[in-house]
Amino acid sequence: MVLCIVALPVFAILGIFSLRYRKLAVESLHCLFRTAIFRPCRSGLDENIKSSITGKVMKYSPKAAGAMYRHYRILSLLFLIVLLLSAYWTAAGVYNYWKYGNCNGPEETGFCMFDPAGENSRISETDVDSITQVVIPKVENGDPLIGNPNAEITIIEFGCYACPFTKKAEPIINEVLEHYKGKVNLQFRTFYIPNHNLSYTSALAANCAMEQGKYLEYHKKLFEMQESMAKDKLFAIADSIGLEQKNFTLCMESNRYRQEIDSDSLAGIHGGVRGTPTFFINSQRIAGPKPFRTFKTIIDSELKK
Amino acid sequence: MIFGFDANKARKDFPVLSKDIIYFDNACMSLKPLQVIERINEYYKEYSACAGRSAHKLASRVENEVAKSREELRKIVNAKKQEEIIFTRNTTEGINLVANSIGLRKGDEVIISDKEHNSNLLPWLKLRKNGMIVKICPGNSDGTFNLENFEKLISKKTKIVSVVFTSNVDGVTNPIKGICKIAHDNGSLVLADGAQAVPSHEVDVGGLDVDFLAFSGHKMLGPTGTGVLYGKKKLLEKMDQFIIGGETVTNTNYDSYEMEELPMKFEAGLQDYAGIIGLGEACRYLKRVGLGSIKKQELKLNALISRELLKNEKIRILGPGDAGQRSGIFSFNIKGMNPHNVSKILENSRNILTRSGMHCVHSWFNSRKIGGSVRASMYFYNTEEEAEIFVGEVQKICKAF
Ligand SMILES: Cc1ncc(COP(=O)(O)O)c(C=O)c1O
Repeated sequence: MVLCIVALPVFAILGIFSLRYRKLAVESLHCLFRTAIFRPCRSGLDENIKSSITGKVMKYSPKAAGAMYRHYRILSLLFLIVLLLSAYWTAAGVYNYWKYGNCNGPEETGFCMFDPAGENSRISETDVDSITQVVIPKVENGDPLIGNPNAEITIIEFGCYACPFTKKAEPIINEVLEHYKGKVNLQFRTFYIPNHNLSYTSALAANCAMEQGKYLEYHKKLFEMQESMAKDKLFAIADSIGLEQKNFTLCMESNRYRQEIDSDSLAGIHGGVRGTPTFFINSQRIAGPKPFRTFKTIIDSELKK
Repeated sequence: MIFGFDANKARKDFPVLSKDIIYFDNACMSLKPLQVIERINEYYKEYSACAGRSAHKLASRVENEVAKSREELRKIVNAKKQEEIIFTRNTTEGINLVANSIGLRKGDEVIISDKEHNSNLLPWLKLRKNGMIVKICPGNSDGTFNLENFEKLISKKTKIVSVVFTSNVDGVTNPIKGICKIAHDNGSLVLADGAQAVPSHEVDVGGLDVDFLAFSGHKMLGPTGTGVLYGKKKLLEKMDQFIIGGETVTNTNYDSYEMEELPMKFEAGLQDYAGIIGLGEACRYLKRVGLGSIKKQELKLNALISRELLKNEKIRILGPGDAGQRSGIFSFNIKGMNPHNVSKILENSRNILTRSGMHCVHSWFNSRKIGGSVRASMYFYNTEEEAEIFVGEVQKICKAF
C-alpha cells in the first residue's frame, strides 16, 4: 500500500506521455484513497507491482527475490523515503538552478544535472586549506572601482587574468554593471593561481598600469589577449595604451606590489574563495561564471535592504 | 499423425508460440494454428458475403462452407444429424439458449453441481424469479462428482440436470454417462457444459446419450466468439426459440410468423461466417492430430508436473492427487502466498503464462473459503521441456519466498 504513494507520482509523470500510465496513476490514486481508509487496494496494483518486480529479480537470484518479497513493506517504505527526499532535492535543485545558475546554490560549484558541463560553475581552483572562520572581504580603499564610485553596492570579484573562467565572467559582469549603472560598481581583486601562466605577473602588470592611471584599459586588454599571453606582450600592451615605458618597466622589476597582491589573495582565502572567479555581493558569495539572473536575484534583494 | 504425435512439430503451426513464452492458459483460450487463421482470411479476402439470404455465387459458397463446418462439428461430437449442431457465440450462449427455451415453469427443479462456471450457474439462478428451483449437488472433497448425492437430490420435479463435463477449476471430468442414465430414468434432461471437455476428449454424444452439449470454439483452436450447442433433434424441434429475428423465420405478417427449421431456428441474424468456417478448420486440425493424442499429451505433462510438485509440502492442489483424473489442468496454491502474485512472478521470471483467481467459479471457492488458485492448463502443443521449466520455477518460489 505504501507503494501506491510511490506509484502515484511516478505514474502521474509518465502519464503525461502515455495513456497506459495515466490509467495506472488513477489506479494508484484509488489505492492511496483505499489506504487512507485502511482498506486493501481493490485493483491489487501494489501486489501486482511487487510480484512483477520480484519475478524479474528471480531470474537472477531466487534468494534475493524471496527476501524482497517477504520484506516488501519495509523496502517500499524505504523507497518512499528516498523518493520523497529526492523529490525535495530535485525541487530545491530546480529552484536553485533557476535562481542561481547552479542546483546547489550560488556558492557552489558541484555537479548540477541541468548544467552537466558545469558551464555556470567552473572555477580555476587553487590548493587552499579550508579556513575555520570566514571573514567576508571588504571593499579596499584606494583600490580602483569599476563604475560609479558612489554606487550603493560594490561587487568584489576575486579573479585571475590568466584564468579562462574569470574571462568567461567578464561579459556577464559587464552586463550587470550596465544594467545597474550608477547603483552597482565592481572592485576586481587579483587572486592569482600559481599554476596558470603569468597569473601573478599579469596581476603585477595591472598594478603597474594603475600607477599610471590606466588600470581599466590594461585590465580589459589582459582579458582580451588572455589566450596568447606572454611576458613580452605585457610590455607591448603597456606600450599600446600609452604607458610610460621606463616607469612601467621599473615597476615590474621592483616587484613592489608583491605584498598588495598577496594580501588580496589572502583576503579571498579568508572569505572562503576556493578558486576564480568568486564574487561577493555584500555577504553573499557567488562561485563561478554564474548567469546574469543569479547576480540579478541577489542584487535585487540586496538593493531592497 | 500416423507416425505418432510430435508436439514440437505441431508448435510450428502456432505463430504465437514463436514468441518466447510458455503458454499455460489453454483452459481460458487456446492458440490458433495458421491453417485456421488462413481459412478466416480466405473468407474475408475472397467471398465475404451473406449466406442464406442471397442466391449469388459468393453467397452459395458461404452457405456451402458453413455446411461443411457444421458437418465437421457434427463429426467431432459424433452427433447423428447436422441440424443438431447450432452455432452460437460461446458456451455461455448455448446454456442460456437451453435455459430459456425448454419451457421451465414455476416449481420445476434444476440440478447443477457445486463446481459450475458462472456460465452454468447464472442462467439458472436468474430463472428463480419465475418460481423455478435450483438445487446444488455437493461433490466429493477431492472435487469428483458424487453420484449418490445426485440420486438423492433428483426428484420427479427435476426438469433438467446441467453439469460441467470437465471442470475448468481442477480438470476433473464428471461421469456424464452415469448422470444421463439416472436422469433419463427419472424423466429429466441433461445438459453438459463441454467447454473444457470437447477440446481434449473424444466426446460421443450418442454414446453418452446426453441431451444437450454446449461448448466453445475458442478453446479448441477455433476463432474467438464461436461456439456450438448440440441438442437432440427431437428436443430442439419442440423447443421455443431464444433470440429471434432475421434467419429464424420463413415468413412474417404483422401479427404472426412461421418459424424456420433447424438449425436456423436458433441462429438469429447474420452469423459469424468467418468464425464458423474457421471453427470447421479447427476441427479438421484436431482430427489430424487426433483427440486421443491430445489427451495423452496433456496427461503426460500433467503427470510430470504433479509427480514433481506434489512432493513439495508447500503446494496444495485442487482436485484429486492422481493427475490422470485432472486432464490438462494443474490448479494449485503455494502456502502463504496469494495466487495472483505467484502467477505474476511466474510471468516475470520465465514468461510462464498462467491464470490466477477463481476462474469464474466464485461460488465454489467462496463456499470453501479459498481465495483462488494458480491454474496451469496445458494443451497438446506444450512440451515436457516447458513443464520442467514450470516445475523448476514453482520449486524456486516455494524455496525462496
Ligand atoms: C467449464 C466452462 N464452462 C463455461 C465456460 C464459458 O465459456 P465461454 O466464455 O466461451 O462462454 C468456460 C470458459 O472458461 C468453462 O471453462
